[in-house]
Formats: sequence, structure tokens, C-alpha cells
Amino acid sequence: MTRQRKFIAGGVVIALALAYMIYAGVTQSAVYFVTPAELRAAPVPGKAYRLGGMVVPGSLKWEARSLDLSFSLSDGTATVPVRHKGTPPDLFGEGRGAVLEGSWTAEGYFKANLIMAKHSEEYKAPHDKSEAGYRELLKTLRGEGR
Amino acid sequence: MTADLGYGMTIVALGLALYGGVSAGVGARTGRLALIESAQHAALGVFVLVTSCFALLTYAFLTFDFSVRYVATNTNLGTPFYYRITGVWGALEGSIILWSWMLALYTVILIVRHRVGARELYPWALATMLGILAFFLLVMTVAAPPFQRQVPVPADGRGLNPLLEDTGMITHPVALYLGFTGLTVPFAFAMAALITGRVGDTWLVLTRRWTIVAWYFLSLGLLIGGWWSYHVLGWGGYWAWDPVENAAFMPWLTATAFLHSVMIQERRRMLRLWNISLVILTFGLTLFGTFLTRSGVIASVHAFTQGSIGILFLSFLALVLLTALGLVAWRWEALRSEGELDSVLSRESAFLLNNVLLVAAAFTVFFGTVFPLLSEAARGVKVSVGAPFFNQINVPLFLSLVFLMGVGPLIAWRRASLDNLKRNFLWPVALGILAAALAFALGVRSLLAALTFATTVFVAVTIAVDFTRATRARLRVGESLLPAMGGLLVRHNRRYGGFVVHLGILIVALGVMGSHAWSVQTETTLHRGETAELAGYRFRFDGLTAVEESNHFKVVGTFTVSNGRVLGVLQPAKKFYPQEQAPIAYVDYRLGLREDIYLVLGDFARDGSQATIKLQVNRLVSWIWIGGVVLTLGALLAILPERHKSA
Amino acid sequence: MKRLWRWLIPLAAVPVLALLAYGFRVSPRDIPSPLVGRPAPGFALATLEGAPLDLAVHGGKVVVVNFWASWCYPACYEEAPVLERNWRGYRERGVVVVGVDIQDKREAALKFVGDFGLTFPVAQDLKGTVSVDYGVYGVPETFFVDRRGQIRLKHVGAVTDEVFKATVDRLLAEPASP
Repeated sequence: MTRQRKFIAGGVVIALALAYMIYAGVTQSAVYFVTPAELRAAPVPGKAYRLGGMVVPGSLKWEARSLDLSFSLSDGTATVPVRHKGTPPDLFGEGRGAVLEGSWTAEGYFKANLIMAKHSEEYKAPHDKSEAGYRELLKTLRGEGR
Repeated sequence: MTADLGYGMTIVALGLALYGGVSAGVGARTGRLALIESAQHAALGVFVLVTSCFALLTYAFLTFDFSVRYVATNTNLGTPFYYRITGVWGALEGSIILWSWMLALYTVILIVRHRVGARELYPWALATMLGILAFFLLVMTVAAPPFQRQVPVPADGRGLNPLLEDTGMITHPVALYLGFTGLTVPFAFAMAALITGRVGDTWLVLTRRWTIVAWYFLSLGLLIGGWWSYHVLGWGGYWAWDPVENAAFMPWLTATAFLHSVMIQERRRMLRLWNISLVILTFGLTLFGTFLTRSGVIASVHAFTQGSIGILFLSFLALVLLTALGLVAWRWEALRSEGELDSVLSRESAFLLNNVLLVAAAFTVFFGTVFPLLSEAARGVKVSVGAPFFNQINVPLFLSLVFLMGVGPLIAWRRASLDNLKRNFLWPVALGILAAALAFALGVRSLLAALTFATTVFVAVTIAVDFTRATRARLRVGESLLPAMGGLLVRHNRRYGGFVVHLGILIVALGVMGSHAWSVQTETTLHRGETAELAGYRFRFDGLTAVEESNHFKVVGTFTVSNGRVLGVLQPAKKFYPQEQAPIAYVDYRLGLREDIYLVLGDFARDGSQATIKLQVNRLVSWIWIGGVVLTLGALLAILPERHKSA
Repeated sequence: MKRLWRWLIPLAAVPVLALLAYGFRVSPRDIPSPLVGRPAPGFALATLEGAPLDLAVHGGKVVVVNFWASWCYPACYEEAPVLERNWRGYRERGVVVVGVDIQDKREAALKFVGDFGLTFPVAQDLKGTVSVDYGVYGVPETFFVDRRGQIRLKHVGAVTDEVFKATVDRLLAEPASP
């Protein structure tokens, strides 16, 4: 029976080791879901957050050469200033929902490492092929490189 | 008319499946063959009906029949021909019909293969398959009907999600579902074994080939998914630990464990309880996966829309788990093993450790996936764990598993003597350590990379040692070299097929390690004519052009790539679909053995004078796909029917 | 004793199932619109029949402004019967449903209205100014305006009976003047 006990002991050791690894993994990579209001209420610099809200219309600034993106994210109650380095995903835009991952900085803004824009299933954008905007885009681009 | 016809066929199929399941069950219980035969006819009828439904739906797609709601939602007048076919399984309802069709197909194959020769188990396995099929048909009838009528009929449909207009869309779901549904058959036989009390080796032997085939398709589906993610989604990654990806990965892990532990049960009559539990766990995880993707319970970029379907799946999962575990409790005595583990240093131990590690990995993935639910239920705070969690824990587990790949096939059964260990492992260990030292000497400083090199070389050498030794034995008997080697592969195809699969895994492991340790990326904005540099490559922005296609128009950026001499032109694009809210980025890339060059077009100026691009140089990623091909060859070899069975 | 312990095995599945069931209670957080709480922008359009459609005329009533299009499938097709049904139910109680059709052809709009038998006033926003004023990004979008002319709710996607009734009932209960 001691042999069997050895195997059970081995199993317990493995289970404990796994439990410890999971615990360490969770505490190190936990990301907290917050709204702008919740973040504003108690921001903790350095903590990893996932912030969801709407991009405030008129707040978006994109500097192509330096890749600086800045905007404000709101949930109707509070607003959070956000900065990000690099182009945002294609679904991202003013007046639309976005989910950001990043951290709160000591300087008072949210530094976003990852921007995930919300894709709505029920929605259809008013971009008909005959729409003026697209024709314009097509025209200006066709004017070049010919 | 089409909608009504399709709906009618679905209901009849459901009725037949229910009837067949009950009939097979009663027939099994009472021994009345007539009932079992009736169930077989019912199963055939279900297959014919579901195939017809599938064909009808495809026809509706091809003819732009917008009177069917599903067609109007997933296609429009501009959708190209082949995507009108693959679009059939592009959304929720279609995915259920595909799943049901495959289940029906597998049921028919089960009937053909096992009708004779599995007297006791076959009827119950048939009943189980039909019961599960009935559930999916129920979902198709009640929660996700593909044949709903659309009144009034719109002039044009919505269109397929452009991300799905890709060759990956044709193969990935098909392969994945063939894998998932294939795993239903071992489960059905396990249930039959429990119900009849015949929990010995019979059900295992019957399901061996089914398991390998299903495992193979699942592996293929995962690899294609990774490839699709890599070359379409534009972030240069092939795996994100997304809940939906995890949902497919977990059953793969437990299925892999099962593939190995059956060998122990065959040889030593041990681990009966473990094997049955593994099969139940694997099937449970399969259902969990479909539940996850369709219920909206955990947020994911892949998830389909929610609805009543989530509750249906959860209820069925509960029914399956409670029934199966109840049967296990009932047959507890019979499941106790005959054999016992003799020593820690033995093949049985190695295989058991392999299983433990795989289940531990599956548990980790599960835990990380449901963690948001757990934290909200426990503390009211919504927390998730990101990729670092999964990588941190799984990497050591997988590396240990790779190491075991080398140990398992060579170490002796029961108890390995010191002599046996020396004979088998001296060279592999020595060369493994040498490989790590060599890597270090060549400038590799990452501990992970060194360990990976050491382990892969270790395993490769063990395979070489085995193959050489076996070939030499045949040469001694008088065979010449090539027939000896070929003969080995054919006569012991399960063993050598397994070795080839292991080789494939080694190559994949190296690819994963390379891509993680040594890939670089950057993002920059260029004026026309300007050049960006990364990892020795220069990218010159030449300009933008606009092209109009049948259902979208695209803006293409032209970039000349050189590394001293001109290598070629890359043309990443952005496609604008009228029905989509935003443009979709299309990556352009140059694949290579050592590294891939990867370019994504981000923002651009309307007059074409400037473009923002994301550049990546990804190392060794191609090895992942190459490893996948090798894995495929190995699996095919292992599936071959055995000509001369060796004990 | 030993014989009974084994029946705990099935119970092992229960905690996991319970956790997953819990997931249904948790609903994704909605992202509210910044326009909510502001006065509804006025507009003066002409209905498809040629009658004038002016928001100012309906002061004191609860107004439901629905932006739609005939090419907006499937959402607009799903909500059209809902809007018509509720329009007929609430019109005697001081509620007005107004449809604003954007970026559409007149024939397609007329066909849509005819197919669904819509009887509430529908106008085309030919210049596109109204949708810009309301910050409409896609269709369908429905704005619920209270008796004092303030936008109280923006609903994105197809409107359902529950949303319509709950919101309108709530707004009807409020007084017309501050």
C-alpha cells in the first residue's frame, strides 16, 4: 500500500504545484473591468484595467507621423482621457463603443495598450455604394498613381 | 415555399431521430432485433433528410432566395459564388445544420461498421448517437431554425461578414466540426460500455480508429484556425487564448490524453475508470465549447449572437454530465483496475504523467476562460486573465509534455532498470544538452529557447535511436535497407505513425518558440517615397491605388521590400464593404522558412500621400504549418488498417 | 458506506454547471449615448405623402424618432411591425412615432412603408442634416423624446416591444411642464 500512497502523494504534489502556478498567474495577469465612472472614482496607477465606454465625439486626435492617438472615453457619467501609440483598429471611431486595455498613469490619463472596438450585430452603417463619401474617396485615390 | 419545405423536413428528422433513439434503446434492453433494425432505418432517414435540408439551404443561397431569412442575413447580390456556398455555415443556424449533418453521417458510418461484430455495445451506442443527434435537431427546430421565412422579401440581403470571405472559412469549421462530432462516437461507445457493464477493452478497441480520426480533424481545424488568424486578422498572431479558441483547445488536450491512456489499458488493463472519465470529459468539453460560442456567457470576438440557445445547450450539457457520471457511479465496482503501477520509472508512469499534464493544461485553460464568471460570482468584481496567464502556466506544462514524448516510447514497461535507461537515453540526453550548449554558444540567451532546443533534440534522437535499432534488427535478419525501413512503417504503422506525429509536434514547438522569442515589430507613418527599416529589411512606400470589386472596393498600398537587393512588392489593402461599419484590413506577407515579413495598412491620407503601416518580421512561424503537415502524414499513417497485427 | 460515496460523483458536475448558469444573469454593460439628456434637435421635413412633418408641433407629447432605411436588413425589418403595433396602441395617449428614412430611394421607401402597412408619419431626410444633428451612425437608431423635448433614451438596433413599452410608459408618467 505504501506504493499507492506514494502515487497519491505525487498526485497531491502536482495538484498543489498547479494550484500555486494558477494563483501566481492570476494575481500577475488579472485585468479589472471598469467603467469610466468607476475608474475616476478610485484610480490605481499601475493596475491593469479593461475600460469600456464610448469615444466622445470631437475628442479624437490622431497624429500620423508620431503615431499619437488621444481621445476621451465616456459612459455618460464620467470621462477618462486616453492616450495610445499606434493606429486604432478599423472599427474604432468617435461616437462608438470601445474597450481598452491598459493602465492608469500617475500623470492623470489612461495609457491604452490595446484598443478593441465593438462590432454590433444589429447595426448597419449607412454606407451605400452610391453614397457620396465613397465616391469621393474613390475619385481622389484614383487620381493618384495612374 | 423553400422555407416551409425545409422546416418541415427538419421536424420530420427530429421525430425520426427521437423515435430511432428510443427504438434502439428498447431494442437493446429487450434484445428485439426488429427494433434495432427499425432504428437503423430511422437513422438513415434522418441522414437523408438532413442532407436534403443542407442541399436545399445551399440552393437557396445560390439562387439568392431572400425569402429565407438566413439567406438574406448572410448573403447579398454581390457575394461571390463560392462564398455563397461556404456562407451556408457562416453563421449560427448554418453551423448547427453542419454539425447535425456530420453527426448523422457518423451515425450511418457507425451502423455500417459496427452493426456486425459489436453485438452488445452497438445498439446502445446507436441509441446514444441518435439521442445526441435529436438534441441538435431540436436546437435546429426550436432555437436556431435555418428555414425561417422572411416577409416582406427584401430586395437585397445583408451579406456575409467579409472576414469570412476566405479559404479558411471553407476548411476551418468543417475540419473542426468533423473533429468535435467525431468525438461523439467514442463517447457513445463509452455509454454503451457503462450501460451493459462491459467496461473492459472491447469499447476501447472499437473506438480506437474513431478517436485518432476525430483527433486528427480537431488538430487540423486548430492549425487551420491559427493560419487563418495569422494571415487574415492582421495582428500577426495565430493564437490569442480567446475563449472560443480555448473552447476548441480543451477537448483536443483531453482527446490527446485519451489517445495515450488507451494504450495503457490495452497493455496492462489499468486505468479503466480514468479512460471512461476522460471520454466523458472530452465530450463534455465539446458541448461546453458549442455552448460557449453560442450563449454569449463569456465575451469573445468570435462568439455568435445569444438567445435561448444558451439555455438549451447548458441544459443538455447538464443532462449528459449527470447521466454519464451517474452511470460511472453505478458501475464503480467493475471499473476498478486489475493492474497496478509497479514503478515510477516505467512506461505506464510516463503515460500517466502525460495524461496528468494534459488534463492539468486543460484545467488551466478552463479556469482562465471562466475566470470572469468566477470572480464576478465570488466577489462581484469582473476580472479576466489575459494571455500571460495561459502562457505562464502552459509553457512549462507543454515543455514537460514534449520531454515525455521522448521518454514514453522507449522506457520499459512495468519497471525500467538502470541498464535500460542508460541504453535508451544516454545519447538523447547527451545530444540534448549539447544542443542547448551549442545554442548558447551561438548567441541564444533565452532560457526558454535553450530548453526548447534541448528537449526537441532529445526527443528527435530518441525517435532516431528507436528507428535505427529496429531497422538494424531487420537488416540482421537479411532484409535490405529500404524495404526494412518501409516495412517497419507499414507493419507497425501505429507506432511509427505516432512517431511521425511527434516529429510534427516538435517542429510546431520550435516554430512557436521562435515566433515568441525572436519576432519583432514596429509601426510607422511614411510619406510617398519614404522608407522604413526593420530587422535588415527596407520598406519603401510607393503609393496607393483604388480598385472596385463585385461587392466591395479596396484601397491598396504598394511597398517595395528589399534587403540589399529588391525582394518584391507587398500590397496590403483595406476593403470597404457597403454593409459593414468599417473597412477591413487585408494583410500582405512574404513567407519564408526562417522568417515572415508581414505588412498591415493602417491609416492613410485621402490623397494617397501618406500611409501608416504596421511592420512585423516573424521568426519560424512557417515551421508551425510545416509541423502541421508532418502531423497530418503521421496521423494518416497511424490510421491505416493494420495488415499484420503485432502484439 | 463505500457504496454510497460513489453517488457523489455526479454531483461533482453541479458546481461547474451552476457557474455557467450564473453567466446568464450577468448582462453585458450597455454603453450610453452622450446625447441623452440634451434637447432633441428640431427638424422640418415633408412626409412621403407630402404633408409637413415638424418636431416642434408635437411639443408636450412623447415622441419616438426612428431612423431607418429600406436596405437595412434584418434589423429594420424586425422592428417595423413593432413600431406600427405600438404606434396604433399609444397614439390616443399622446405619443407620436416618427420615421426618418435616410439615404434611401423614394420608391424603395414607399415599398417598405406599403409592405409593412406603416401608418405613422414617415419622411425622407434627403439632405442628411437630421441624421447628422442626431449623431446617427447607423440604422436603425431610435430616440425617445420626453414631453419636455429632451432625448431620454437612444436605442441602437431593432426596437422591441419591451423597450418601447417600458420607455414610453415611463415617459408618459412624467409631467409635460417642469
